[in-house]
Amino acid sequence: MTTTIDIERWINATASGDRAAFLALYDATNAKLFGVCLRVLRDRAEAEEVLQDVFLKIWRNSGLYQANGFSPMTWLITVARNGAIDRLRARKSRGEMVDLVAELPDHGPTPEAAAIASSDNAQMQMCLGQLEPDRADAVRGAYLDGMSYQELAERYTVPLNTMRTWLRRSLLKLKECLTE
Amino acid sequence: MSSEIPIDGDPERDDDMLAAEYALHLLGPADRAAFEQRLAIEGALREMVARWTESFAAFAEDIPSVEAPPAVRARLVSAIAPTKRSTVGQRGLSLWRLIGGAGLAAALALALFVFLPLNSIDTLSPATYIANMQSDDSGFVLLAGYHPDEAALVVKRSAGDIPEGRVLELWLIAADAPAPVSLGTLPDQASVTLTLPEDLRDSVAGATLAITDEPPGGSPTGSPTGTVLAAGLLTDA
Repeated sequence: MTTTIDIERWINATASGDRAAFLALYDATNAKLFGVCLRVLRDRAEAEEVLQDVFLKIWRNSGLYQANGFSPMTWLITVARNGAIDRLRARKSRGEMVDLVAELPDHGPTPEAAAIASSDNAQMQMCLGQLEPDRADAVRGAYLDGMSYQELAERYTVPLNTMRTWLRRSLLKLKECLTE
Repeated sequence: MSSEIPIDGDPERDDDMLAAEYALHLLGPADRAAFEQRLAIEGALREMVARWTESFAAFAEDIPSVEAPPAVRARLVSAIAPTKRSTVGQRGLSLWRLIGGAGLAAALALALFVFLPLNSIDTLSPATYIANMQSDDSGFVLLAGYHPDEAALVVKRSAGDIPEGRVLELWLIAADAPAPVSLGTLPDQASVTLTLPEDLRDSVAGATLAITDEPPGGSPTGSPTGTVLAAGLLTDA
């Protein structure tokens, strides 16, 4: 069973150029990170490219992991999410459309990945649950779909400023809940 | 509880709110650039971003895992193979290209660099802009001067020890720039003179210079990744 400690150990070993540790890290976490890339991009070919870039970044940047104060899985997920969002924005700026229902995975996490993912994020889930459903969805849409305020305002058919106020209030509520 | 939340237009848009919006990529380009300039030098802000990032990562929990195709692993294995990694030149460039546009831009910026011979410093035209770069935390003290006739930037380090296994990297953050631009890594010597790339020469006025510690070879991302050891504004000499 892969644990947070294993992942941290592999990241640190990767930082000193240990290829076997890097590949062990890849084997244990690629499914989670590929899932994140697929979820954001909804395009298998692009998600594969981004995943490869993401792991090359991890290979090169693993030495910085200690410095940034994230838990190991958060760091890996954030590198993947940011890589995928950047790709998504580049695609949007080229004006390309994508079939939103295509390419979504239809099976659940592997037991190993589920064990990795069920970390200490229960509180965030609980706090999100305290928001009205569409407000929680808006925060989720910004994180997972890289939606701008403008795009969110269009999705919820509210004026732009209303959308900003909504989202900031939701973030404030989240903050209050998370720091309780 | 809800009564504590302001009900008009712009509720508490404080640093923590900005950090959350930054982590979500909700800031517009100008706000994002301004925030990143602060992020480069304000540790408290980086902590706020880290905290929000940690919280938002919970969204990834619901996402089903999908095993990536074996071809991705195979490509990674060959990308990290020792023989290829140790060869510079063509191979190095293609690796940068894989990593993305910012990395490539940084690699090219480095390639544009020409280090002037040390003995030419005395013959430089007068500096028009200088920056005092220092930090109470790191103990680094540097003075930089820009000499426009030669497009030369002279960086003198009077205090500060380079952390073991790291190198110093110099960054220019232009007043209106979206992100810091790498001016390259600095050799371990008290005085370094470098030629500013042509496209940056008009950005010197009002720009900030910063030094970070980075892994050997410089930041792998094209953006500062290490600790900001010193920073200072370029002002009229």
